[in-house]
Amino acid sequence: MPEIRVTPLGAGQDVGRSCILVSIAGKNVMLDCGMHMGFNDDRRFPDFSYITRSGRLTDFLDCVIISHFHLDHCGALPYFSEMVGYDGPIYMTHPTQAICPILLEDYRKIAVDKKGEANFFTSQMIKDCMKKVVAVHLHQTVQVDDELEIKAYYAGHVLGAAMFQIKVGSESVVYTGDYNMTPDRHLGAAWIDRCRPNLLITESTYATTIRDSKRCRERDFLKKVHEAVERGGKVLIPVFALGRAQELCILLETFWERMNLKAPIYFSTGLTEKANHYYKLFITWTNQKIRKTFVQRNMFEFKHIKAFDRAFADNPGPMVVFATPGMLHAGQSLQIFRKWAGNEKNMGTVGHKILSGQRKLEMEGRQVLEVKMQVEYMSFSAHADAKGIMQLVGQVEPEGVLLVHGEAKKMEFLKQKIEQELRVSCYMPANGETVTLPTSPSIPVGISLGLLKREMAQGLLPDAKKPRLLHGTLIMKDSNFRLVSSEQALKELGLAEHQLRFTCRVHLHDPRKEQETALRVYSHLKRWAPRSFWLGLGRSGARGGSHCASRQRPQGPLRAAPSRWVRDCGVHPHPGCCPLRGPRHQGAAGVLDLPG
Amino acid sequence: MDPECSQLLPALCAVLADPRQPMADDTCLEKLLDWFKTITEAGSSLLLLQENPCLVELLCHVLKPQDLSSRVLSFSLRLTGVFAAQEDCFQYLQGDSSLFVASAAGQLLVHILSLSMRGPAEGPPGLQADDWPACAQKIVGHIEESLRSTAAPQITQALNVLTTTFGHCHDPWTQVLWVQLHPLVAALLEKDPVPAAHSLVDLLLSVARSPGLSSSSCGLWETLAQTLSHLSPTQAGLLALGILKLQDCPQALRAQAFAVLLQPLACVLKATAQGPGPSGLLDSTSADSVTADILLPSKAACVGLLCRTLAHLELLLPLPQRPCPWPQAPLLGAAVTLLQLCGGSGSPASDEGRQLCTLLLGCVRVQRAALDFLGTLSQETGPPELVTQVFAVLLEYLRSPDSSPTVLKKAFQATFRWLLSSPRTPGCSDLDSHALLFLRELLPVLQKRLCSPCWEVRDSGLEFLTQMTRRWGGQAGFRHALLASEVPRLTEQLLRDPESYVRASAVTAMGQLSSQGLCVPPASPEHPGGQQKSLLGELLHILSTDSEGFPRRAVMQVFTQWLRDSHADVVGDTEQFVAGVLQVAGQDLDWEVRAQGLELALVFLEQTLGPPRSHCPYAVTPPVAAPASPLTQALQPLCRVRLFEFAFRALFDCDRPVAQKSCDLLLLLRAKMASSSSLQEPRSSPDVASVEAALQRWRAGDQAQPLGDLEPEVVLAVLRSMDLEGLRGALAESSDHVEKSPQSLLQDMLATVGILGENEADCY
Repeated sequence: MPEIRVTPLGAGQDVGRSCILVSIAGKNVMLDCGMHMGFNDDRRFPDFSYITRSGRLTDFLDCVIISHFHLDHCGALPYFSEMVGYDGPIYMTHPTQAICPILLEDYRKIAVDKKGEANFFTSQMIKDCMKKVVAVHLHQTVQVDDELEIKAYYAGHVLGAAMFQIKVGSESVVYTGDYNMTPDRHLGAAWIDRCRPNLLITESTYATTIRDSKRCRERDFLKKVHEAVERGGKVLIPVFALGRAQELCILLETFWERMNLKAPIYFSTGLTEKANHYYKLFITWTNQKIRKTFVQRNMFEFKHIKAFDRAFADNPGPMVVFATPGMLHAGQSLQIFRKWAGNEKNMGTVGHKILSGQRKLEMEGRQVLEVKMQVEYMSFSAHADAKGIMQLVGQVEPEGVLLVHGEAKKMEFLKQKIEQELRVSCYMPANGETVTLPTSPSIPVGISLGLLKREMAQGLLPDAKKPRLLHGTLIMKDSNFRLVSSEQALKELGLAEHQLRFTCRVHLHDPRKEQETALRVYSHLKRWAPRSFWLGLGRSGARGGSHCASRQRPQGPLRAAPSRWVRDCGVHPHPGCCPLRGPRHQGAAGVLDLPG
Repeated sequence: MDPECSQLLPALCAVLADPRQPMADDTCLEKLLDWFKTITEAGSSLLLLQENPCLVELLCHVLKPQDLSSRVLSFSLRLTGVFAAQEDCFQYLQGDSSLFVASAAGQLLVHILSLSMRGPAEGPPGLQADDWPACAQKIVGHIEESLRSTAAPQITQALNVLTTTFGHCHDPWTQVLWVQLHPLVAALLEKDPVPAAHSLVDLLLSVARSPGLSSSSCGLWETLAQTLSHLSPTQAGLLALGILKLQDCPQALRAQAFAVLLQPLACVLKATAQGPGPSGLLDSTSADSVTADILLPSKAACVGLLCRTLAHLELLLPLPQRPCPWPQAPLLGAAVTLLQLCGGSGSPASDEGRQLCTLLLGCVRVQRAALDFLGTLSQETGPPELVTQVFAVLLEYLRSPDSSPTVLKKAFQATFRWLLSSPRTPGCSDLDSHALLFLRELLPVLQKRLCSPCWEVRDSGLEFLTQMTRRWGGQAGFRHALLASEVPRLTEQLLRDPESYVRASAVTAMGQLSSQGLCVPPASPEHPGGQQKSLLGELLHILSTDSEGFPRRAVMQVFTQWLRDSHADVVGDTEQFVAGVLQVAGQDLDWEVRAQGLELALVFLEQTLGPPRSHCPYAVTPPVAAPASPLTQALQPLCRVRLFEFAFRALFDCDRPVAQKSCDLLLLLRAKMASSSSLQEPRSSPDVASVEAALQRWRAGDQAQPLGDLEPEVVLAVLRSMDLEGLRGALAESSDHVEKSPQSLLQDMLATVGILGENEADCY
């Protein structure tokens, strides 16, 4: 039985380190190759021993697909390709290809420079890894090899994020990566064909959340920033350089313009200029509004937002600073935080400790830093919420759904919702757990022109939307199937037609006269026997034909029997050996079951 | 455990034991476990448990049936293992970082088996399986039952458990176990297809490697031979490779294993043979129909088998225990044939050959594997006519417009390896006349590739050029061929490539060419020498203006190398060169450029003051020649190039490696001062005070004010007064060492209690 197998090596019931193995019709694909930011050792990378145990990676995997440039989706790529030794192609969209090495390089810098890690991938490895990348366009069908094809769809979320359809013959899987079903200030909403895959693998970060209006969140954010600045305070916004940062920049820029505010806004990293460069370069990937107004004014050329110099942090008066990294674990955002945390007029959003209400933090050299500044947490994350996920499942119409990139408890809730409301089976494997889905492959069958003409002569024109039965004989020759008329089948296979006469003695207990009884039997046989007999034969051919017309799974022995019969016919060396047996014989016998 | 952590621990244990308090982040549990491991490695776990009764309470609590999260449960079980590991029987358990439950369960079974067989104090159980403890008998019974099962997953599990057992336990009882289970394992071979073939191969190799077993007495060799012949060629390759890697095994079995590995290539050679006669590879079995059956009907199977075979042979070639004699010539022939078939230049006469040709035409996977294999084969020589064919096929690939960037890169690598191996005279690294002839054909191809629209190809071309120049740049034949080509001019143009990776590679290549005196274009009316911008100026321009880090880093590396080699462009006015480079590098945003600047400063310092003394106490050191002039005088050039301002600034750099490197440089200088005869007493002067004050400001983050011209005496005084050792100690700690501390971890975990898991999603 053909099947699709899915094993998450990461993102199985967790958020972070996305890496999912999919086997479809004998092809093996790795979806994303992310790392876990919470670890400082090899545990940050997915456990590839699952694949490497049975030999070389390159022999096992047909391709790797990266959905977008976030490190939890691509951070392990250089490790995987240059240190573990994957040699095959890596597919991603053009913006992801452009931005991915910058983020990898940046992460390498933090790991090697700030944390002093040895045995980390080098710049040369990032370059060698990027040489294996094949960039794809949206909606472009890319042929990985003769059988495996992939196609990218717009996913929103961040610049260049894509969902991927992976297809081998008639079997397919759709992987969403991270996506957003509502457009925001700079990106559009995710969109995909109604491609009816066997399986949809979807992220489920916000599996239980129905998010409030984005407008409310934005208003709240602007109000708080405005108040802090009015008080003469300083606002620190720790962000990751690419993605949400641009969304907030557009938001503040527009607000500053409208309110005619003068307090300076700074962006603290050299990465930003690069980021904005790429947003300009890949303007077609942004939303409709930005694309339309691009000619008059580029939204990413900010008037109010200036590059930050570390000396500015000591300047008196209000200011807003976007600083990286987003979780205040190192670098500039942490330095600024140390400077400003002691002043209650200031505001900042920070990592775990402060977010959870700690007000006294130990800093280097056993110094204790008292946090007097106001701390706010605001979510601008661009993931689909529960409603969005349901909407996408409805849009794609998959046969099954598999949840990844979320927490087990939330997944459980969404799984039930999908199964109950959409009547689609849903899976949520943990890391290392394999989900196996049986598939019903559709086997292409060629139909002889003669047979087709005969069918057409009955006046019914072919209609793609209405599959219908076609009667004929199924022949398997050189791994190909053909449906032909029985005469042609006999001719092609060099078989002589045999006529079989079935006789049997039947004792009839009929009180009527002998002649009357004979007449009754005769008229009954005349009415039923020939048709039933040929129906038995005809049906066998038709069953084979229906295989190609619809994608239903074979359900009983009747389906298996004809193909076995045909195969016997095709290879049997003795034409005299009659293939008629089994079900047809029973069909003929049933005729004598006289009604009351 | 420090007292702060001890205070936090009871609260944390209470949280872990409470099923209503979910842990949002499972990495913290992993880190907690890491911490406990370090504590128990350093001291007694018993003491730890006595001092922290909350841990015992937690472990007892989780054993009660309740709705505890699986994360906390598995954490507690592993924690128990950590404590028990001191009894050393649990140690393997701790080493298992596997994510996979089945594997963990298997490991557990092995450890219980091993533990029970170690026996109580009165000694281990006897060698009769009937005398084994009930627990061990039960486990063995379970394994036997699984091996008899018809369900493949169950057989796989049993085989994996046995593989781990024979891998870890080498006591005499393992031999008894193998003798008992051997018939069941052998029975698996009777099934068609052989179930769990991968796991079976792993097990047999694990048994064969086990020092606890005497292989001859257990019928292992027979089973291995039987397995080799029963498995399909696709499955048997791994086993064959494993057998050939074994240190001692019967020659007949090795021959059989090698034949399995060679079969697919023998089939290829047979199918493509131009005339009748032996191909030289497996004459006796070359007609193996099983392999041919697998190779020919389906493309996927054919490609898979060939790639695996090539990879296995590639692994085997460098090993000392590889088969002898090694069939170098036929293997070379096979690799070349495969590349020809994939490239479309093979024209086999037979039907099978044509079929193979159709299957392999344009197949990138086989191309990649065959090029890697061909490159590895260069470790050995081959008959001249075959080597000519090798170069021809490599040239064909380098020329072909159909070659993908990855294939081209591999073709460049293989070409370089074959060029390296081409000299006939031992000990001579020069290119021979054949190689030089090949080079004349190669350079126009390289020229074309340097103009490729694909940045990957341009970059691989430049890397290849750098490698060749580094190796043969001094050889007349190479120089002549290169200078007669357009390659140096094109390389120079690539300094302005739109792709930063290519610019960086072009910088490295130009640096190399220039070091060998190869980048000056021949004087001609079109290129009057005077109008050519000097390479030094060009590279300085890149260093100060390129928007990307890679080219700037490459420039710094070239400059450092030039200074080390006393390159002509540098020797003219070394001080001006060093001063200029340090000034630009000091302002660079990329820490690696600044760190490289310190490397350059170090080279200059060593050239000015003499090399550092060896730190090895046993090294024979020649008597140190005291500098002819006093140290202050020797420091003059360093002051003139403003090396100290650069180094002091770097000392307070916000990027740690830069500060560390600068600290090392200054410590080296101070060591030189100490050994110098001109050691003077520290003295204070207004100059010293103002420099020290400026350095204080720099340390605080305000680096706006320059130090100005420094006198050597002032530098020496400042160096003496600085606590460089202390600074080095502080710099040795990573910037997140506070956040990484166990106390911080415990605080984080306690702090997140009660906060909904909504927040962490935004990190991504």
